[in-house]
Amino acid sequence: MRTSCWNLAPLALVLLAACGGNAPQQDTLTTDPVADSTQAERLRKTKNIFHNIPSPMETASLLKKAGAGYDKSVLNDVKNVDNYTSASKQALNLGIYGADLSYAGVFNNTQESMLYTACAQNLAKRLDVANAFGQETVDRMEKNRNDRDSLLDIISSTYWDVDAYLKDNGRDNISALMIAGGWVEGLYMATQVCKTHDTPELRQRIADQQYPLGELIELMGTYSTDDPAVSGVKSDLDALAGLFAALPTPAASTVTQENGVAVIGGGAAPAAITDDQLKAITEKTATIRNGYIN
Amino acid sequence: MKHLHLLALIAAISALPTAATAQCRAFVKNKCAANMLPYKFNETFNAAQLGPGEEAEVDLTFFSGQDYRLMVCAHPIIGEVNWKLMDGTGQTLFESLASAPKPSFEFKVATTQKLKVHIDVPEDKSSATEMLNYGCVGILVGFKE
Repeated sequence: MRTSCWNLAPLALVLLAACGGNAPQQDTLTTDPVADSTQAERLRKTKNIFHNIPSPMETASLLKKAGAGYDKSVLNDVKNVDNYTSASKQALNLGIYGADLSYAGVFNNTQESMLYTACAQNLAKRLDVANAFGQETVDRMEKNRNDRDSLLDIISSTYWDVDAYLKDNGRDNISALMIAGGWVEGLYMATQVCKTHDTPELRQRIADQQYPLGELIELMGTYSTDDPAVSGVKSDLDALAGLFAALPTPAASTVTQENGVAVIGGGAAPAAITDDQLKAITEKTATIRNGYIN
Repeated sequence: MKHLHLLALIAAISALPTAATAQCRAFVKNKCAANMLPYKFNETFNAAQLGPGEEAEVDLTFFSGQDYRLMVCAHPIIGEVNWKLMDGTGQTLFESLASAPKPSFEFKVATTQKLKVHIDVPEDKSSATEMLNYGCVGILVGFKE
């Protein structure tokens, strides 16, 4: 039985690298697939990490279900979009604006959704992913601006296309930075909202982020550590992880039926966070996130 | 002339993997994504070309209180793919071919937890030729907004 890696085979990356590919315009963020002995591991981790990181829309949905209200002051200012000249900042902020877009969409703030769509599209264009996120997407969103459900579907579908396009072109590192930016923004929103809406549900959502954080660190760790942007993000995430409690030991789960739907019980949920932990996580997340947007 | 042929060959070979993943993207988007409705599917592209006898494992985090649909969508050329959802101890919670084939599984989790999806592509026992059939396998995770 052979075990397959997701995404492209190593040969594919070697050939793509030899042909130049679609490298970003500013800082390179490239790795040398031939020399990088952890390439196969990176491919495997890339596969894993994508599944472990909740999408920005799911994060926003979890916040809403936890009773949080909409607070536009936590979003990245749209005026910042022109400040991002390096590919790493563009990738991180494509994720950040994507999370902001999802947040505005889930809370049905159409006007802000359109503003954040324009920002995200601007960055997508500068990262050479306009094929996946072009003007026609913006036009489609404009046309459906009063249909929240359609708007959310378009947002999901567009980010899916961007991610797929990046991977199609061997730019998994840009995809990983985009995902990291989106995840950090989601945690930033949750911790900021928790300042005025501190409930057990919201605290648990913050504690739950320990699982995707661990996977995100593994993903970033498999990239070349001589890339300052990627290694910088990994260091940030490592520091953040140190503020959470230790991961729970895996425990057996059970499946029962509830109104015709399977319910998986048991398992091991992350431990609740203390007041001190919450304060430290809130401050650290804000420092990291503000470093990315400024 | 010889060099031109060589360059053309290199260009063609280097384009193959990209074309394959682009086809995979189109397959998942056109043939699978619609089956996730009314769930909002995860914005991450999770698909690959797999061949006979290959397997893959993927970890996923599920959050308490959310309604999920998990679907593994495979091109028919590679046959009936079996996939399992397992807990952190390796215990199987769902198996797609355990009885009647089920392409998707709808569920909730009582507490937030990390689960694993294990995918097996069947061996191609009928193949009388050297040709191996590779096909796209996509994993889609959707939640109810």
